Amino acid sequence: MTSLLPHEAASVLYAVAAFIGFRGARRGYSPRAVAWVMFAAVLPHAWGFVWLHGQDPPVSLSTFPAALSLIGLLVPVSFLLSLRIVRVREVGAWVAALSALLTAIAAAGLRFSAPIAASEAETGALSHAHVLLSTLGFSLLALSSVAGVAYLAKKRALKGKSPARFALPSLESLDRMAHFTLTFGYPLLTLGVVSGFVWGIRHGYSPWSGHTLWLLVAWVVYLLPIGMRVIGHQHGDRPARGAVLGFALLAFSYIGIRLLGGAA
Amino acid sequence: MNVVLVGLNHRTAPLDVRERHTVARLQLVEANEELARDDLFEEAALISTCNRTERLAVAAEPHAAADRLRLCFGESADPDVWHLYELHGIEAVQHVFRVASGLDSMVLGEAQILGQLKDAYRAAFEAGACGAILHHLFQRAFRTAKRVRSETGLGAGQVSLARVGTQLAGEIFESLEDKRVLLVGAGEMAESALAGLRDAGARDLVILNRTVETAEELAGRLGALAGGLDRLGHELAEADVVITSLTLDRPLLSAADVREAISARHGRALLIVDLGIPRNIATDVNSIDDVYLYDLDDLDVVAQRGQARRRAAMVPAEAIVRREGDRFDRWRAGLAAVPLIKALRESGEGIAEQEVRRALAGVAPDDVETRRAMERLATSLLGRLIHAPLTRLRTEAEEGNAPYYADAIAEIFGLTEEDD
Repeated sequence: MTSLLPHEAASVLYAVAAFIGFRGARRGYSPRAVAWVMFAAVLPHAWGFVWLHGQDPPVSLSTFPAALSLIGLLVPVSFLLSLRIVRVREVGAWVAALSALLTAIAAAGLRFSAPIAASEAETGALSHAHVLLSTLGFSLLALSSVAGVAYLAKKRALKGKSPARFALPSLESLDRMAHFTLTFGYPLLTLGVVSGFVWGIRHGYSPWSGHTLWLLVAWVVYLLPIGMRVIGHQHGDRPARGAVLGFALLAFSYIGIRLLGGAA
Repeated sequence: MNVVLVGLNHRTAPLDVRERHTVARLQLVEANEELARDDLFEEAALISTCNRTERLAVAAEPHAAADRLRLCFGESADPDVWHLYELHGIEAVQHVFRVASGLDSMVLGEAQILGQLKDAYRAAFEAGACGAILHHLFQRAFRTAKRVRSETGLGAGQVSLARVGTQLAGEIFESLEDKRVLLVGAGEMAESALAGLRDAGARDLVILNRTVETAEELAGRLGALAGGLDRLGHELAEADVVITSLTLDRPLLSAADVREAISARHGRALLIVDLGIPRNIATDVNSIDDVYLYDLDDLDVVAQRGQARRRAAMVPAEAIVRREGDRFDRWRAGLAAVPLIKALRESGEGIAEQEVRRALAGVAPDDVETRRAMERLATSLLGRLIHAPLTRLRTEAEEGNAPYYADAIAEIFGLTEEDD
């Protein structure tokens, strides 16, 4: 399948970016290089995804490899865009590693499983809105979680007066990144979930699957860090912990449940 | 006469031990006077900075002097003696040169130590504890420091505890432009740290001090607000970076004080850099969430990172220190010939005066010109005659051969004391 080559190339480039980021922290490479290599990876990845979706009939986006590919694409895109707002280039290595992993799994899934064509119900505007909104929300919340983990790691290093194992941005930058991605990601995810409910009801699917139940649990848990940040104006490690926990549940609802065979 | 040094520093003693032995700047003269009163020491000086307390002496009996210097740090049963180091002769001299050059500093190559060493010299001088040898030792130490900074890469990009503080602030805050920096105490190091943060973009600066006038004076120079320590609780709640540098008997802030002050910060980080000796902030303050407390020992750990380039400059810097140490040692050895040189010159001048007097007996008293010419002749002849032997004697003395040449010259010129 020709769409696989761009996916595999993107996966390799993401891995290269992660390698440069982690190794460069010790050798003094600029984190800017990581962002550029990541950008170079996004191009074939986007092309591969568009090609995949442009098939006749198009490949179903609800299949595991296609969903992973879209998440693996939106995570670095969101990160590269967020660099215009917060100074967090050093996190690029972590984001690149995550994207490399997601894209590699997606490429493997696409290569070794027969493509599933999208049903008629999946080709409508509401279906596309659901997939795009929830995946974009998921990607931003993934970044929020990465920022949270990085914040906690940095805080631990600073408290312990020991050097962090990897170069990381300032605590304030990480906190701002976590805040920004959470406050944008959560509403997008909410809209994605609502549009998915509406789409499911319209097409006669039961909304109460394992996936949606875990999704709701994650959504409720996310209220904690959102409340802390937006209502309580709280910064620091408590919202960071909340974001990490929320994303763990969210990832389980998306990926874990599918792996366990409980997907809707 | 030998130079002896006994001391402890950040490499040999933890902060709590250093705190016990530090001598406040205002007490330096008094402490030097105490050293000067000891008959065992010909000369003495005390170096006390935030990271070291060293006592330096010039004595005829170096080992006895070293024992006495150790006693200044407490009784011999005191476990602190295990943190002490003792250096003699050229090793002590080279150590002072290394200290002056910043080679022995917590932050390799830092420049502040030179100012602190100058303060130490000034205090010893004022106390009358400093003689010719220590005077020369300090002067050469300052010169060595200057050479190290100008001739090696050690002086490139001034590193100081102040810079380390700024680096730490950069680990926590994205920018210092919208951050409030609070300076508690108006010491030299704290001032330097504050200036470093201001250079890094901090604009909102507050200085609190016991003496409000001192705070106001410093605030005027740095464009900061000033106040007394009574405002500490209020300012602590507002500050993002706090630098303390007071000399206190007990911590200024406990964990409870800090917890209360930051209760309404909503997780906003607070960096506290404690430059005080003894420490101004209770150590358990670091256990408070979102508060990052760094004392001098912690800054040492931070400073050690990323010093590879400076370490490369250590080799030529150490070579300069060794060369300057050798020069000083030669100069000190040359001092052994000084009494003989003085005696030889006095003897020669006595002879010349006698001979001039005898020659002038036949000259008319009003013949001033002849008289002056003869005096000039005698002085010139004497100078020419003794110049070569004196130069040789001085050179040989610097090489450590003073006893042999001194005996020979004394014998030849009849300067030996006759046995009755």
